[in-house]
Amino acid sequence: MTGTDTQSSFLGRISIRRNQVNAMDGSHEQEIEDLDLFQKQVSDRFAEILSAPDDTPFDAFLSISWIRKLLDVFLGCEAECKAILLMGRDAAQISKPPLDRLIPELLDRVVKALDICNAIANGLELVRHCQKLAEIAVLALEQKPFGEGQSKRAKKALVSLISAMHLDDKEGSAHKTTDRNWSFGRRGGNKDRPLFGHYKSLSWQVARNWSASKQIHAMTMNVVPPRGPEASGLPSLIFIMNLIMVFVMWVLIAAIPCQERNGLTTHLPIPKNVNWTHTLTGLLEKIGDEWKKKEKKGMAGLLFEMQKMEKLGQSLIDFTDSFQYPGEKDKVEEAAKQVAELAEVCQRMEEGLGPLQMLIREVFHRLVRSRTEILDVLDQGAKSSAPLV
Amino acid sequence: MELPENPNKDSNGYESAEKIILRWDSTASEDAREKMIFETNPHEADLYLQAVDEIQRFLSHASISNNAAASTDDQLKVNSTIQIAMARLEDEFRNILMTNSSASLFDPSSSFSTSSHHELEEDDTVSNEDSSHNGLLQLQHCESSDSSTYRSTSSIREVDLMPGEAISDLQAIATRMISSGYLRECIQMYGSVRKSAIDSSFRKLGIEKLSIGDIQRLEWEALESKIRRWIRAAKVCVRILFASEKKLCELIFECVGTDIDDACFMETVKGPAIQLFNFAEAISISRGSPEKLFKILDLHDALMDLLPDIEAVFVSKSSDSIRVQAAEILSRLAEAARGILSEFESVILREPSRVPVPGGAIHPLTRYVMNYISLISDYKQTLIELILSKPSTGSRYSGDQSTPDMEFAELEGKTPLALYLIWIIVVLQFNLEGKSKHYRDASLAHLFIMNNVHYIVQKVKGSPELREMIGDDYLRKLTGKFRQAATSYQRATWVSVLYCLRDEGLHVSGSFSSGVSKSALRERFKTFNAMFEEVHRTQATCLIADTQLREELRISISEKLIPAYR
Repeated sequence: MTGTDTQSSFLGRISIRRNQVNAMDGSHEQEIEDLDLFQKQVSDRFAEILSAPDDTPFDAFLSISWIRKLLDVFLGCEAECKAILLMGRDAAQISKPPLDRLIPELLDRVVKALDICNAIANGLELVRHCQKLAEIAVLALEQKPFGEGQSKRAKKALVSLISAMHLDDKEGSAHKTTDRNWSFGRRGGNKDRPLFGHYKSLSWQVARNWSASKQIHAMTMNVVPPRGPEASGLPSLIFIMNLIMVFVMWVLIAAIPCQERNGLTTHLPIPKNVNWTHTLTGLLEKIGDEWKKKEKKGMAGLLFEMQKMEKLGQSLIDFTDSFQYPGEKDKVEEAAKQVAELAEVCQRMEEGLGPLQMLIREVFHRLVRSRTEILDVLDQGAKSSAPLV
Repeated sequence: MELPENPNKDSNGYESAEKIILRWDSTASEDAREKMIFETNPHEADLYLQAVDEIQRFLSHASISNNAAASTDDQLKVNSTIQIAMARLEDEFRNILMTNSSASLFDPSSSFSTSSHHELEEDDTVSNEDSSHNGLLQLQHCESSDSSTYRSTSSIREVDLMPGEAISDLQAIATRMISSGYLRECIQMYGSVRKSAIDSSFRKLGIEKLSIGDIQRLEWEALESKIRRWIRAAKVCVRILFASEKKLCELIFECVGTDIDDACFMETVKGPAIQLFNFAEAISISRGSPEKLFKILDLHDALMDLLPDIEAVFVSKSSDSIRVQAAEILSRLAEAARGILSEFESVILREPSRVPVPGGAIHPLTRYVMNYISLISDYKQTLIELILSKPSTGSRYSGDQSTPDMEFAELEGKTPLALYLIWIIVVLQFNLEGKSKHYRDASLAHLFIMNNVHYIVQKVKGSPELREMIGDDYLRKLTGKFRQAATSYQRATWVSVLYCLRDEGLHVSGSFSSGVSKSALRERFKTFNAMFEEVHRTQATCLIADTQLREELRISISEKLIPAYR
C-alpha cells in the first residue's frame, strides 16, 4: 500500500478514510493504488516538460515543440485515466453516484474539447499563412544586392504579416488598419479592399457564435475536487482528468489564434494546497500573466514562434521604411541578423506545424474514442439491468 | 536617367519598357492608381507585358555581362523597376480574379437541377431562396487537354469558372510573376481571392459552420434536414466546385508546372474542404438512437459514393489529410450504424411497458419494430456490407430468464444481416411473451400473442426483401406459433362455456333415454347464459385487427360451439 506516499497530499486527505473503511475488498484497494500511481505519473510528466533545458531556444516555453510535448503528456495521461476507469469494471460500477453525474459531465467536456481541437486546427492555418508571408519577406530581404525594390517588396509582405497577426479574433475582421497597407492597388469606390484580400480569406471556419473563451469557461464549470466520502477512488480520478483536459485546452487557446478569445479567463480551478498541482499552477500563472500583458494590444497568440515573428517583423518594417540604398552599415547588419532569425523561425514552423497539426488530430481521435468506449460500457449496463418482463 | 553601358542592342527597348513600367507605378501617380490596365485596354495590357518581358531579358543579360562595376547599380535599378512591375501585376492579377470571382458567374445551387441524382428533386428551401441568382450559369464541359487523368471518374463535372480571356490574362501575368521570382505572392493572392469565392458558394449551398456542440444540441428533425442538405451540397462541392477550381488552377498555371497549380489549389480549397467534412464528422461522432439509423446510412452511402471522386480531386500528397479524414468519417459512420443496431436490440429487449394493451390488440412496440426492420431491409445493400458478425445472443444454455436464446442450427447459410433480423424478431417475441403475462385473463393473453405474431407474419410476407432474408422456414415457425395461440385462445375463452353444455351430469342415472334432470338442465342453461354473456362482453372488447383472422376465428369458434349447443 502506498500510505506513505510523499507525493499524494491531495489524495493523502483520503488516506485517512482509506484506513477507516472497514469492509474493503481487494478491488477497492487496488483502485486506490492505481489512483496514487496515476496521480504521481501526472505530476512527474508535467514537471518534466517544465524543466526542459533552455539551451535549445526553440524548445522554449510555448514553442511549437513545447506544445507538442505538452500534448504528448496529455495523451499519455488520458490513456492511463481511461484504462483505470474502464479496465475490469462493469457498467454498474461506473454508474453509481456520484459517477452517474460526474461521467456524463466529463463526456460533455470532452465534446467541448473536440470543438476546441477543430478551432485550433483552423488557427494553425493562420499560423501557416503568417509563415508564408514571412518567407516572402525573408526571400526579398536576402536578395543580393539588396536595393529599394526588394525593400519595398519585403515591407509589403511584412505589413501584411503584422496585420494578419493583429486580426481581431471576432470573425477575422480587421482590428486596426494602418495606412501603409493601402498604398497599392486602390480602386475608386473600393478603398477598403485590402492587400491580398486576406481578411476575408482568413475568416474562421468555425461556427459564427462560437467563442473560445466562453468554451473554456463552460468547461471549467463544476470542476471541483470531490469531497467527503465520495472523495476516494474514481471521483478523484475524474477530477484529475477534467483538470488536465481543461488546462491543456486552455494553453492551446492562449497560444494559437482562434476565434473570440476576448476575456479569456486566467483562472482555472486548480486546487492550490496540493503538491502535484504546483507545476500546473505555476504554468497557469506564467501564461496568464503573459496573456494579460499582450491581450490589450491585440495579438495572435502566445506561441513562441509567432511572438518572435511579430517582434522581428515590426523591427524589419522599420528598417525597410527607412532604407535607402546602400543603407547604413549598422542597420544593415542588424537587419541581416534579424532576417536570419526570421528565416529560422520559418524553418521551425515548416518543420513543426505539420506534426503539430497531426498531433491535434490525434488528440481529437483519442478523445472521440475514449468517449465512445465509456458510452459503450454505460450502454451495456443499461442493457443488462433490463427490468425483468 | 542615364542608361548604363550595355552591349545589348536593345537598350532602347529597355528604356521604353522602363518608361511604361514607371508610368503605371501606383505609388507614383493618382491616375495609375485609379485605372486597371487589363480591364481598360487589351492593347495596353499587351504592351505592358512586353515591357515586363523586356526588363526581365535585360536583367538576365545584365547579370551575365562582363561589366562588373556597373552591374550592381544596373541590377538594383532593374530590380526596382521589376518590383514596381510586380506590384502592379499583383494588383492586376487580383483585380481580374476578383472581377471574375463574383458570385453571379457561378451559381452552384442551380447545379442541383443538372445533377442526375434523384434526391435532388426533393423540396429544398435553400435553392428556392437563391433562385433569384439563377442567372448566368454556364455548365460547359471542359474542352481542354486530357493531360490530367483524374477526369476518368464519370461523375466529376468541371465548369468554367471564368471566361477564357480572363484565364489567359491571368496566365500571362502569372508567368511573368513566377519568372521574376514572385511565385509566393502569386499563390497567396490567388488563394485568398478564390477562397472567398468558395466561401460564398458554400453559403449558397447552405453549408453552415456548426460546432460539434451545436450539432449535439439540435433536434433530430432539424438535424435530419441538415444532413439531407449536406449530402446534396457535398456532391456539388466535390464533383463540381472543387473539381472546377482544380481545373482553373491547372489552366492558369499551365505553363509553369504541376506543383504550382497544386499549391494554389490546396491553398484555395483546403480550408473549405475541412469545413465541409467537419459536419459529417460531427454526425459520425454523435451517439445514435434507433431512429437515426437511416439518415446515418444515407450519409454513409453518400460519402462512400463520393470517395472515388474525393480521391480523384485530392490526389496530391499535400491533400493527404483530407482523404484520410473522409475515410475516417466513413468508418465512424459504419461503426455508428452498427452501434445503433445493437442498441436497437436492447431497446426492444428492455421496453418496459407493463400496461396491457386493451383487448389484446397489436402492441405499438410490434408495429414500431416491424416497420423499422422493413426499412432496414430497404438498406439491405449497405447493411450487408456493414454487419459482418452474428448477433450476440447470449448462451443458448445459460438458462438466463432475462434473455431469449435462439437456435442457429436451421439458419445456416444466412447472412449476418438476416440473422440479425431474425434475432430481432425473436427478441421482440420474447418481450411480448413477457407482456402477455400481465393480462389477468388468460384468454386475452393468448389473443395478444396471436394478434401480434400474426402481424409480424403479415409484415414479413408483405416485404419481398424481408421475406427473402427471414426465409420461409422461420416464417412457418411463426405461423405455427400464432395458430397455436389462436387455439389456446379459443380453448381458454370457451372452455367454461362449453363445459356448461357438456353431457355428463345431466342425465339421470340409470335410464337410457335422454331423460334429463330438469332442474339441472335449467341450472346449466342459466350458467351457460351467464357465462355466454360474460364471454360475449369480454370478447366484445377484444380486438382482432386482421379481418381474415377474425373470420377464421369466428368460424372455428362457431364450429365448436354450435354443435355443442345443439
